[in-house]
Amino acid sequence: MGTLNLEGVSFHYPGGGETVLDQVTLVIPAGGIFGLLGPNGAGKTTLISILAGQLHGATGKISADDEPLEALRRRRPLSLGLVPQEYAFYPMLTCAENLRFFGAVQGLAGARLKDRLAAAARFARIESALARRAGRLSGGLKRRLNLAIGLLAEPEILLLDEPTVGVDPQSRAFLLDSIRSLAGTERTILYTSHYMEEVEAICDRVAIIDHGRVLVSGALSEVTRDGSGLEELFMRLTHRSLRD
Amino acid sequence: MRRLLALWEKETLALSRDVLGLAVLFLMPAAFIVVMSLALSDVFKGGAARQTEFAVIASDGPEFAKQLTERLEGDGFHPSPEPAERGVLHVTKPALTLIVPRGFERALGTPLGKASSVPALKLVADPALPPALLLAFQQRVLGVVLGLRVSALMRRAGVAADAEALDLKHAATLNVETIGGTGRPSSVQQNVPAWLIFGMFFVVMPISSLFVVERREGTLARLVSLRVPFSMLLLGKVGPYFAVNLAQAALMLLAGRTLVPWFGGETLALPARWDLLAEVTACTSFAAIGWGLLVAVCSRTLEQATVIGGVGNILAAAVGGIMVPRFVMPETMQKLSEVSPMAWALDGFHAVILRHGGAADIAAPCAKLLALAAALLAAALWVHHRRRVLTSAQ
Repeated sequence: MGTLNLEGVSFHYPGGGETVLDQVTLVIPAGGIFGLLGPNGAGKTTLISILAGQLHGATGKISADDEPLEALRRRRPLSLGLVPQEYAFYPMLTCAENLRFFGAVQGLAGARLKDRLAAAARFARIESALARRAGRLSGGLKRRLNLAIGLLAEPEILLLDEPTVGVDPQSRAFLLDSIRSLAGTERTILYTSHYMEEVEAICDRVAIIDHGRVLVSGALSEVTRDGSGLEELFMRLTHRSLRD
Repeated sequence: MRRLLALWEKETLALSRDVLGLAVLFLMPAAFIVVMSLALSDVFKGGAARQTEFAVIASDGPEFAKQLTERLEGDGFHPSPEPAERGVLHVTKPALTLIVPRGFERALGTPLGKASSVPALKLVADPALPPALLLAFQQRVLGVVLGLRVSALMRRAGVAADAEALDLKHAATLNVETIGGTGRPSSVQQNVPAWLIFGMFFVVMPISSLFVVERREGTLARLVSLRVPFSMLLLGKVGPYFAVNLAQAALMLLAGRTLVPWFGGETLALPARWDLLAEVTACTSFAAIGWGLLVAVCSRTLEQATVIGGVGNILAAAVGGIMVPRFVMPETMQKLSEVSPMAWALDGFHAVILRHGGAADIAAPCAKLLALAAALLAAALWVHHRRRVLTSAQ
């Protein structure tokens, strides 16, 4: 998978009037991790939802290697994976049952499903918790299960929406190391977070958006070349006023 | 198909771990079947099977009271073992007390033209007595008195009267034949299908609860991002709950055959056509699942799902003749009951279980239930489209 291109993407909810995304243009290359930053309500999750196919009606162009993303997904349904910020799995099912279910709805079956289930569990280090009900896991294990589900079908485009929220430092360090290890592959990874130090630690390119507009975008080293850290840049661009 | 099977397996696993949901689906209707079959057993019995006590107080003496009592006895009316006293009639047994004024026996021999001179009888009735029974006893009293009057007039005219011939019991032999069966429907035959239907419609609870959890936890959004069509997500709930409804039907029939008689009630008479019973069950199931899907899509919280689903079911049951048999409702309510899907389902089950009807007899209720199921499914898809229920992103 090559570059994910967003050209002039705009979106507003029907009847809502307010524009949530306004002419968003981004170039997200493969092989690294692209950090998407913004305060609450900036439009990060809306953008992720549009890319994941949960929201329709956006204008502009979204393409992967010059092919419209929608066409690519029709052709290769497993090309995109999402790790949402919610624990998007079934709490009453065990980890293994969750993995088996999400693998099966993606079309995996038989030995391939078994292999992918084992590989994803191994990657997220949840092998010892496979027989446990997902709802009874610690916050860290839940986040790891969430990540494992997103990696089941080995997606070429991986969308990670605040994947470390609410976990202890050990789990966060493990998750960040795991995500960093994915960057070496030819995978296109979009990562959103509120934690600046996380983005500085694992992302090579970043964009800051607010009120649906891209305020800055580029290589991390470029956008912070004046010596200011990412957090200082973020606060300067988005201001200190509290958000909803 | 693989996706659909995965969705069915997930739904089945989730339901199997919902102990409360399973209790609502299986224990609640079984408990209602036993309790209501026993509680309403007298309501569904014919006059002969019901036992209603009566007493006669005759001022003309105990002999005349005894004569009246012997003639009034029968068809479920029997003399009270405890003699009634006038001062306590309204608060104690028997349910019916006939008070015969002084001079009534003598007045019976008065020619018909002077009938106004016969003192009036008085019947004191328990207010809780069903009106039909009161009317039956009234007619019985009038019949007996007519016999006594004819007998007295014949004696007055010098004609030998055969007391036996003029007894109400020997007036004629009248056999009552119930359509489609050898006897009247029993309480258990009414209550098993009624509470089975009620239980089947309660799939609304687990369907909507899990759906709300799926939406709240972001699972539905994730499935959409995996390009699982929303219509397939809904269909993913149909298979498991259809199986649940079939299991409910089998177990509730079993309860009618075993549990109810074990507690002292009657045994459920099984239908002659099992294929028709399966058809009615399937159509009821589709309507119940359709209702569950619409409530699931419309509800934003578990509380909303519980209130909409639960209250909707209870109202439909109250109106549809589940809680109160339709034949005891006034005419207006009986007409209103025709709008309840539970009433359609009950018509279908009664056609098979009570009246031993054929395919033509269940066609109308089945068609209505299937049309409702299709409309509810379409409404669920429409509401989803309108509300963008999968989208929590703002």
